[in-house]
Amino acid sequence: MEPDQLKNWLSLLLTIAWLLPLGGFALEIFAGFWSTRLKKTAAYIAVGCIGAGFVCSLTALCSWGMHTGYWAEHDYLTKFFQETPLGGDHAPADGHAADGHHGSEHDAHHDEHSAHGAEHGAHGHEHDESKYPTVFAGRYYQLAEFGSLQLEIGYYIDSLTLVMFTMVTLIATCIHVFAIGYMSDELTEDYVDHFVHVGEGHLHRPGRFYRFFAFLSLFSFSMLGLVIAGNVFMVFIFWELVGICSYLLIGFYTERKSASTAANKAFIVNRVGDFGFLIGLMILWTSFGTFAFSEPSAEKAAENPGLFQMLRDDHGQMTVEIADDGSHQVVLTGPEGTHKTIPYYLLVAAGIGIFCGCVGKSAQFPLQTWLPDAMEGPTPVSALVHSATMVAAGVYLVGRFYPMFTPEVLVTIAYIGAITLFMAATIAVVATDIKRVLAYSTISQLGYMMLSLGVGGWVAGLLHLITHAFFKSLMFLCSGSVIHGCHHEQEMPKMGGLRKKMPITAYTMLIGVIAITGLAIPGTYFGFQFAMSGYHSKDAIVATSLAYWGLNDQHVLLFILPLAGAGITAFYMFRLWFYTFAGEPRDQHIHDHAHESPAVMWVPLVILSFFAIFCAYDGEQGPLWGLLVHSEPAGMDHGFDPAAPGQIAVPGHHHVHEKMSGDATVHDVAGRYALAVAIAGAILAYLFYGARLLNPADVRRQVAGLHEFLVEKWRFDELYDAMFVKPVHVISGWIAALDRVVIDGFLHGTSKAAVDVSTWDRRFDEQVIDGLVNWVGDRTFRVGRSLRFVQTGRLRQYVMFIAGGLFGVLMLVYILTL
Amino acid sequence: MNDPIILLSAIIFAPAVGALILSVFNKEAEEGMRVFALITTVVTFVLTLMLWNIFDYQDPQMQLQVSVPWIKAWNINYQLGVDGISLPLVLLTSLISLLAMVASWSITKQVKGYLILFLLLETGMLGVFLALDFFLFYVFWEVMLLPMYFLIGIWGGPRKEYAAIKFFLYTLFGGVLMFIALLMFYFGSAGGEVGSTFDILRLQKIGQGLIPGVEFDGMTQMIAFWLLFVGFAIKVPTIPFHTWLPDAHVEAPTPISMILAGVLLKMGGYGILRIAFPICPQGAQAAAYVLVLIGAASIIYGAFAAMAQTDFKRLVAYSSVSHMGYVILGIAVWKVSDGSTVGSDYWNMGMNGAMFQMIGHGISSAGMFFMVGVIYDRVHHRDLNKFGGLMGLMPLYSGLAVGIFFAGLGLPGLCGFWGEAFTVLSAWNYSPILAIIAAAGVILTAGYILWTIQRVYLGPEYKGPHPEAITPINMREFSVALTLLIFAIAFGIYPESVFGMMRESTTLLVTNLSNTVNSGLEFAGNIIQ
Repeated sequence: MEPDQLKNWLSLLLTIAWLLPLGGFALEIFAGFWSTRLKKTAAYIAVGCIGAGFVCSLTALCSWGMHTGYWAEHDYLTKFFQETPLGGDHAPADGHAADGHHGSEHDAHHDEHSAHGAEHGAHGHEHDESKYPTVFAGRYYQLAEFGSLQLEIGYYIDSLTLVMFTMVTLIATCIHVFAIGYMSDELTEDYVDHFVHVGEGHLHRPGRFYRFFAFLSLFSFSMLGLVIAGNVFMVFIFWELVGICSYLLIGFYTERKSASTAANKAFIVNRVGDFGFLIGLMILWTSFGTFAFSEPSAEKAAENPGLFQMLRDDHGQMTVEIADDGSHQVVLTGPEGTHKTIPYYLLVAAGIGIFCGCVGKSAQFPLQTWLPDAMEGPTPVSALVHSATMVAAGVYLVGRFYPMFTPEVLVTIAYIGAITLFMAATIAVVATDIKRVLAYSTISQLGYMMLSLGVGGWVAGLLHLITHAFFKSLMFLCSGSVIHGCHHEQEMPKMGGLRKKMPITAYTMLIGVIAITGLAIPGTYFGFQFAMSGYHSKDAIVATSLAYWGLNDQHVLLFILPLAGAGITAFYMFRLWFYTFAGEPRDQHIHDHAHESPAVMWVPLVILSFFAIFCAYDGEQGPLWGLLVHSEPAGMDHGFDPAAPGQIAVPGHHHVHEKMSGDATVHDVAGRYALAVAIAGAILAYLFYGARLLNPADVRRQVAGLHEFLVEKWRFDELYDAMFVKPVHVISGWIAALDRVVIDGFLHGTSKAAVDVSTWDRRFDEQVIDGLVNWVGDRTFRVGRSLRFVQTGRLRQYVMFIAGGLFGVLMLVYILTL
Repeated sequence: MNDPIILLSAIIFAPAVGALILSVFNKEAEEGMRVFALITTVVTFVLTLMLWNIFDYQDPQMQLQVSVPWIKAWNINYQLGVDGISLPLVLLTSLISLLAMVASWSITKQVKGYLILFLLLETGMLGVFLALDFFLFYVFWEVMLLPMYFLIGIWGGPRKEYAAIKFFLYTLFGGVLMFIALLMFYFGSAGGEVGSTFDILRLQKIGQGLIPGVEFDGMTQMIAFWLLFVGFAIKVPTIPFHTWLPDAHVEAPTPISMILAGVLLKMGGYGILRIAFPICPQGAQAAAYVLVLIGAASIIYGAFAAMAQTDFKRLVAYSSVSHMGYVILGIAVWKVSDGSTVGSDYWNMGMNGAMFQMIGHGISSAGMFFMVGVIYDRVHHRDLNKFGGLMGLMPLYSGLAVGIFFAGLGLPGLCGFWGEAFTVLSAWNYSPILAIIAAAGVILTAGYILWTIQRVYLGPEYKGPHPEAITPINMREFSVALTLLIFAIAFGIYPESVFGMMRESTTLLVTNLSNTVNSGLEFAGNIIQ
C-alpha cells in the first residue's frame, strides 16, 4: 500500500470503529419504544457495535504493522517461539539497548546525547528511510474559519492512537458483555430499588436495561473521538462529551440522591479542571493561531504548521531567547518559516492550564474527590469509565500533548502525580467498600502515570496506562462479580472466604492483584517470564524516577513517594483479596447466598486476565513497548539537558540503563527496591488479613487520629465544601438580593419618586395654582357682589358718580401736573 | 417573488395581513383562528426560507436592497435589505415564531386578541431585522413594544401588570435614548450631496469617515455610541439593565417567553452590530473595554443569580442574562494598539461567536422556556424545590428537556457550545483577565444547570402539588421540543452551517471598522463598494 492508501485505509477503519457506537446509541436510546423492556436486543446491538469496532481497530493496528514493515522489522512472534532461555538478571541488563527497534542506533549516541543526532525526524523515531510517516493526519470537516484561523474535526493516527483504539474497544467489548449479565435484573417491568425508600417501601420502577447500553455506546463513541482527535480543540470537545457520559452513567440510578449528587460532583469538579484547560487553549490559540498537533506532510506543514512544529525543531528542541528586559522568550516557527516570540511564562501557563484539565479528568490531587463518589454508578461503568478509559484520558492527553510541556510544567506534573499516588494509596488502606478501594487504587495508579510522564518516562507512563487499563478493569469486573454474587453487598468486612463459592472470580482477581502490585520473579525461565504486565510498567516508572533523581538532586521525593507507594499498593491490594476471598466467612448469611456468576460474566474476566498477564510481555523488549516507542516525541530518547529558566534535566532512555552500582543499571536497582517493598507490603497484608496473625483493630486503636484522618479522605470534601460550595451559594444569594434590593430598589425608588413628584404636582396644581386662580376669581366675584349694591339703576345717581369720577380724575391730573 | 421589494415586504407584512384577516373571524371559532394563525407563521417561515434560498453566501454586502421614498419631507425611506448578519436572525425569528405559535395552543383566554397581537409582534421583529432606514428601524422597534406589553399584561401571571409596565418603561427608556442618537445622526449627516439622511448604510460610511465633507466627530460618536449602547443593552439585557427580564419572563405566558428569549433579546445584539458599532466606530473603540467588562460581568453575575433562584422560570431567565453576556463580550473584543487593530482575526472570531451565541441561545433558551411551560401547564407551579422524579413520570419529556438543558449548559455537540467557546477563546487576545473571568462561567453554568436537572427531573418522587395532573407529553408539545432539540444538535455538530452564512459579512464589518481606526478619520478609500 502506498502511504496515501494506507492513510485512507486506517482512517476508514478507525472512523467506522469510532462512529459505530454512535449509531448504536441512536438506536438503543429509543429501544424503550421499539422493543420491550424484557429483551436484550439493545445490549446485542451495543456489543455488536463495539465488537465490530474492536475488529476494525485490530485490523487497523495489524495493517499498520504489516504495511509500514513494523512487524517484519521486529519479528516478535519469532522471538517468542524461539524460546531461548536466558538466565537470571541478565535479561533486564540486556535491556541496555532497550529503546526497542532503534536500540543500536541510540547506543551510538549515548556518549554524545547532547549532540542530538541529526537523523531524528519531527516525531522522534521517524523512519527516514521509510516512505511511511509516523503520523497520519487529516480532516473530516471544517467547524469554522476566521481569516487565517481554522478549526476542524480531524484525525491524528499514530501507533499510540492505534494502541489506544485497540485497548479501548477490547476492554469496552469485554465490559459490554459482562454488563449483559450484571445488568440483567433491569430486564423487568418492575425493578425494585432497595436503596431508595418511598413512603412505606422501596421504590418500584420499570427496568432500564436498554438505556444503560445506550449510554455505554455513547460513552464509547466519545472516548474513541477523544483518542482519534486531530487537534487539541477536538480533544476538548470530546473531553466534555466523555464527561457528560460519565455524568449520565454515574447518575444511572437517577432516583438515588447519592447517585445524582455524585454525578453532579463529577461533572462540576471536572469543569473546574476544564476551566484551566480552557485558559490553556486560549493562550495557545492566541499565541500559536492553531490547534492542530502537527502536520505530517512537509508541504502542508510549511503553510500551516501544527503546534509541535511551531514550538520544537526536528530534534525536539525549543529555542529560548533572552529579551532585552531579561525575560525569557520562546521562538515559534510560523508559516513559511516566519518567526515570532512569546514569553516563556506564557508557555508554562498554557501547559499548566492544559494539565489542569488532565488533573480533573484523571482525578489527580487536588481534584481527586469526585472519583470515589463516582462509584455510585453500576460496576461495569466503574470498570470502563472510571478506571480503564475515561480517567486515563488525562494521562493520554499529557502524553499526546507532551511536546508542548516545558520542563517546569513536567516537574509540576510529576509532583502532582507523586502526591496523588501517595495520598490515594494511604486512603485505600483504610477503605472498606470494595469498590472504593479500587477507586483509590485507580487514583493512585493514575498518579504513577502522571509521575512517569513528568519525570520523562513517556513510554513507561503510557505503557502503565495500557497495562493498568487491563488489570484494573479486570479487578473492577471481579468486584462486580462479587457484588452481583453477594446481592449488592459492597462492604468487605461482611465478606471473606468467597474463593470457594466463586473460584473463577477469586483467581482472576488474584491475577489482577499480582499484576498491579508488580510481584514477579525477575528473569526468564524455560522461555517464559514469570512477570505480569504491571511489573514491567511499574518497574519502568520507578526506574525513570530514579534516573530523574540522579539528574536533579533536589527532587528526591519523586523517587521516594512512588517507592513507598509500591509497598502500600501491595498492602491494600492483598488486603482486599484476603478480606474478600480468604479465610472464614465473616457474615454467614451473605456467604450462604453467594454464588459464582454466569458465564457471560466470567468469560470477560478470563479474557481480561489473559491481557493483564501478557499485554506488556517482555517489557522493554516487547511489542507493546516497541509500539509506543514508535510514537515517542522527538528528543525523548536522549532526554533533555538542563535549560533556562528552570534548569531541569529530563532523562532519556540511556539514563535509565546506565550502570549505577556494579553491574546493575538504574533500572535494575529501582526494580529491586520496588520488588522488595511490594513483597514486604504483600507479606504484611497476609499477616493481617490472610493468616490473621495480627489484629488490624489494635493498630487502628493505636493510631486512631491518623486512621480517622484517612477514613475522612484527608478531609478534602469538608474543605472544599467550606471553601467553594458554601461560598458560591452565599454569593449567589447576595447577587440575587442585589438584584432585588439594590437595582430593583433603585427602580422602585425612582418610580415612587416619580409618583410622589406627580402627587405633589397635583397638590400644587390643586392647592397653589388652582387656589390662586380660585382666590382671584373668588375675590373678583365678591367685589362684584359688593359692588352690586352700587348698581341701583337710578340715572341721577349714575350722573352723580360720573360727575364725581370726572372731578376726581381731573383733580388727580391737576395734582400730578403741579 | 424574485423582486426583492415584494419578497421582503411579504416577509415583514405577512403576519400583519394575517392579523388583519383574523380580526374578521368569529370570536367563537378559536380552533379555526389558531390554525389560521399557524398557517400565517408557516407561510412567513417559508418566505424566509425563500429568502435564504436566493441569498448569496459569498457576497458580503447588503443584498436584495430596496429603497422607496416614504416621508419625503424628512428624507425617510422604506429601505430594506439583508446580509449575513441579519439573515440568520430573520430565519431564527420566523422559526421561533412558528414554534411559539404551536406552543400557543395552551392559551385559552381571549384567543382572538392574543393571536392578532402575536402576529403584529412578529411583523415588528422581522421589520427590525430587515430595515435599513434608521427611522424605519425605530418605528418597527416601537411597533414591537406595544403588542408585547399587552401580551404580558393581559395573558400573564399574577404580577402581570407590574411586569408589563416594567418591561414597557425599560424598553421605552432605551428607545428614547436611541431616538436622541437618531436625531444626532440625522442632523449630523447634513453635509454632502444627499443631505440629512436616516439611511443606515450611508450613516455607517459617514461614521467610518468614507464620505468626503461630512463626518461624525469623536465626541459625537462617543455620546451617540453610549446612547445607542444603553438602548440596546437594555434589550440584550446586560447588567445593570437586566432586571426587567426575570419579571417579564416569569409573568409572560410560555410562547411569549419563547419569543422574548429567543428573538427579542437578539435585537439588542443586532442593533449593536448593525448600528452602534458601524456608525460610531470611534465611540465603540473607546468603549470596548467597558463593554467587554460588562459582558464578562454579566456572564458571572447572571450565573450566580440563576443559582440562587427557586422559581424555575426565573432561573432560566437569569441564565439568559448570563448567556447573552457572551454576545457583548464577543462583539467588543476589538483590540487596538498604536492606532491599529491587533489580531483582527480574533475579533472576527469573537463577533462570529457572538452571532452564533445569539442563534444558539435563541434555540436553547426558547427550548428551556418551553420545557418549563410544559410542566407548568400541568402542575401550575414553578417552585424548583417542589419538583423531582419527572424522569420516571414523563420519560420522553424529561429526556428532551435534559437534552435542551445540556445545550444551555454549553455542551459540545449542541448549539450552546460554539458561541461560548469562540467568544471566550477570542477574548484572551483582548484582555487575559477578562477572558479568565468569562471562562469561569463554565463552572457556574454547569453548577446551576445540573443542580436544576437534579431537583426537577431526578430523584425518586414528585414532591409538589397536583401530582395527578402529570401526564405524558402530547404530540404537539413533543413536536416543538423535538424540533428545537434537532436544531440544537444540528448546529452543535455542524456549526459551519451558521458560520458560513455570516462569515463574509462579519469579515467585511471587521475589516471596515479596523480600517477606520487604522486610518483615524482619514479616508480609507472606497473599501465599501
